[in-house]
Amino acid sequence: MRLERLRLGIDVGGTNTDAVLMQGNQVVGAVKRFTTGDVSDGVVNAVRALLALDGVQPSAIEAVMIGTTQFVNAFIQRRDLAPVAAIRIGLPTGDGIPPFCDWPADARAAVGGRYWMIRGGAHHDGQEFAELDMDALATAVQDARSNGIDCFALSATFAPVRPDIEERAARLVRELAPGAHVTCSAQVGGLGILDRENAAIINASLAPLAVRVIGALRTAFDTLSIHAPLFISQNDGTLISTAMATEYPILTCSAGPTNSIRGAAFLSGLTDAIVADIGGTTTDIGFLRNGFPRETASPDRIGGVRTNFRMPDVLSIGLGGGSHVTEVDGRVRAGPRSVGYRLQTEGLVFGGSTLTATDIAVRSGHAEVGDPTLLAGVTDELVNHALDDMHAQIEEAIDQIKVSAAPLPLILVGGGSILVSRSLKGTSKTIRPENASVANAVGAAIALVSGRADRMFDYGKIGREAALKEARAEAVAAAVSAGAEAGEVEVVDVQELKLTHMESTMMQVKVRAVGPLALGSGLRLAVGGQ
Amino acid sequence: MRTIKSEQDIHDMARGAVLLGTGGGGDPYVGGLFVCEQIRKGRHPRLCSLDELADDAFVLSIAGIGSPTVIVEQLISEQTLARLLGRAESFFGCRIDALISAEIGGANSVFPLALSAISGIPVVDADGVGRAVPQLEMTTFSIYGIRATPGILMDDIGNVVTVDAASDRKAEDLCRAITTAMGSLSFSAIYPMTGAQAKQAAVRDTLDLSLQIGRVIRNARDGSSDVFAALLGYLNALPGREAYELFDGKIIDVAHETRGGWHWGVVTMQSPHSPDDIFTVQFRNEFIAARRNGKLVTMVPDLITILDRESAEPLTGEMLSYGQRVKVIGLSADPMLVRPESLEVLGPRAFGMDCDYIPVGRCMV
Repeated sequence: MRLERLRLGIDVGGTNTDAVLMQGNQVVGAVKRFTTGDVSDGVVNAVRALLALDGVQPSAIEAVMIGTTQFVNAFIQRRDLAPVAAIRIGLPTGDGIPPFCDWPADARAAVGGRYWMIRGGAHHDGQEFAELDMDALATAVQDARSNGIDCFALSATFAPVRPDIEERAARLVRELAPGAHVTCSAQVGGLGILDRENAAIINASLAPLAVRVIGALRTAFDTLSIHAPLFISQNDGTLISTAMATEYPILTCSAGPTNSIRGAAFLSGLTDAIVADIGGTTTDIGFLRNGFPRETASPDRIGGVRTNFRMPDVLSIGLGGGSHVTEVDGRVRAGPRSVGYRLQTEGLVFGGSTLTATDIAVRSGHAEVGDPTLLAGVTDELVNHALDDMHAQIEEAIDQIKVSAAPLPLILVGGGSILVSRSLKGTSKTIRPENASVANAVGAAIALVSGRADRMFDYGKIGREAALKEARAEAVAAAVSAGAEAGEVEVVDVQELKLTHMESTMMQVKVRAVGPLALGSGLRLAVGGQ
Repeated sequence: MRTIKSEQDIHDMARGAVLLGTGGGGDPYVGGLFVCEQIRKGRHPRLCSLDELADDAFVLSIAGIGSPTVIVEQLISEQTLARLLGRAESFFGCRIDALISAEIGGANSVFPLALSAISGIPVVDADGVGRAVPQLEMTTFSIYGIRATPGILMDDIGNVVTVDAASDRKAEDLCRAITTAMGSLSFSAIYPMTGAQAKQAAVRDTLDLSLQIGRVIRNARDGSSDVFAALLGYLNALPGREAYELFDGKIIDVAHETRGGWHWGVVTMQSPHSPDDIFTVQFRNEFIAARRNGKLVTMVPDLITILDRESAEPLTGEMLSYGQRVKVIGLSADPMLVRPESLEVLGPRAFGMDCDYIPVGRCMV
């Protein structure tokens, strides 16, 4: 039988690269391979394994969706980062708190830590308090170029209210430094110049890596004869084009946990639940609300640097399939140390010499991997105590992530979900959906496409209704041009920001629209409330 | 006289200042970064005690006024602060011998330190209320007859306004109106006073208090001992003060609105063990009253602080949101604030509540 109209979902994690082929709502193939130093090799290995399945032709793949932690990991590990020129347009405000002020020394060193502060910027009401100093900007750009820097992060005071000031500066940078990567802060953050500027600097430092990685992925799919459009998962679980991801790699930084939670929702059919993703080293517990992950309420740090990105609110504990099980002072504990991806050689059940959480699961009869006869020396008592500790750790984490005492269903995903064999306190039932071990790749494959509009309108001139109509149409058109099915796109968020304290009818309107990928399969990808 | 040597001390002070801010006073994050940057340049803020102050010393309060949204965009200009000092000295016609914080709670704890770092002028280890309050006239400076004005307000663009108000209540209104015209952020030099006046009207040793509170929390956290036990132990050992853990639960609602220039609202928490056990904290800029299942357990001027239940990080009102797991602490106010003349402007009736002040220790039972 030949399979048609397939979507290929891939999740590139720190340890594993998971890939699934989906036809409609069905997972028709799933594989797990190790992630490689050069990300595209691991992807090729996984995709080759899927293409080897019966009836799969590369030409039947209509779209490829990739979630990757590559960029956020590069920043956290301070590798493959480009030096950045941070140019703040804000004088005479803010000179006492320069860019990089709150960065860990190693992060600052990894991106060079060079900054320039020039005149310009606006008040909260949009009025410019100083004219953008184009001469100082030109000097800064030349200075940066002569230091071999060609990645620029621009941040202007109240840029979310007046994005045009940064855009004007960006035009000059591109003119003076052809081929430079320029990130404007208003594109990667909201109010709060330090957090927004940090996000712009992180993004600029990742730009050359993004060009290389996404270029390599494109080449890899070409060699696999897969010519379908390629999409990348972003933080909110929707897809962006490779062009967009190349320009804004920071938008992909929390796609991993988002995809896992979205995949769990899709596979289980639930919209409200606790999701526990148990891997080799850690268990990530998240909260599914209306089909989407609940986000953190306060600013998150990425690799020690504060940004105003909202990440999925995920609690990580040091318990996974590879966790060491040890007895100290009569108390049996699992984790936080782990053999990680070496489980297949070091775990007792695989002929190794380390007692792991997986060995306990097999010995208790709840999992079937490796050779159970190798576990004969593990006593029932030890097994019971280890199971007590593992379940207690997960129960404690569930209790922390929940917002009310009412029990909720628990969806178990990830390769380590075999560790859970008992019912857990605070949960109403435990669901282990089929293909749970590749939920993150499924989350990538089912993702929606989004489009945005963010513009100033003069309500006094054209009226609120006409302005909102225009902004909504623009967001919908942006989603469709990014690959969404025309006619299926819904506006999910409208924000109007008034310029207060000013005799003005100007209004900033932000609209976000999402829709399913246009695949012609009649597939409805929407999960939950949106 | 002592010098603040490390960035760690600034972070500790900021943490303690949020606790004393009792939900208001603003986030000292930005001000703390300014001082840390100065310390990295080798410029250290200096502290002196009230007793070290000469009676005829000229002391001035430095305060930021304005919107939290604006300071996170415009940040703090070193040049503006330096100009403010110069203008203040020429306006008052004398050298400034020491700086003092008008309120230790929140962001205004760090601005005098910032000025001290750039000028070398010491900051008095004291402030005008020992917590945060929503209005100028609620400070002990005002209560004990020191007038907020004449004073000056300045912005980053170079606008300078001198204010000489008929009353401190009116000074508050004027400063707000001027600040709005300045783009909703200004820096002010107010409460000109002598050393003798400061000794009589200021709440003592409150910079050190905020530093110690921040340190106790950090040390307990790093040493993985029980942070709340350590914090309550420290607070209860303070002379004339007592502290209690009022509640342990999750935030299930944060309702707030801006009305008449104030930030009003109620935070509702629920016990994880019993859904019927409900705790509410009412706020007007700062937390003013805490109730467990409808019964008052702490009220102004005693301090109510909401902290992250794992890290014991104190939270400002802006940081609170649905789903957070928190603990609430009640801390009796500095004894100066519960004298009859203080309670008249700082007690529950001053905040529209229809009851007399009951100290936290008696209120809880």
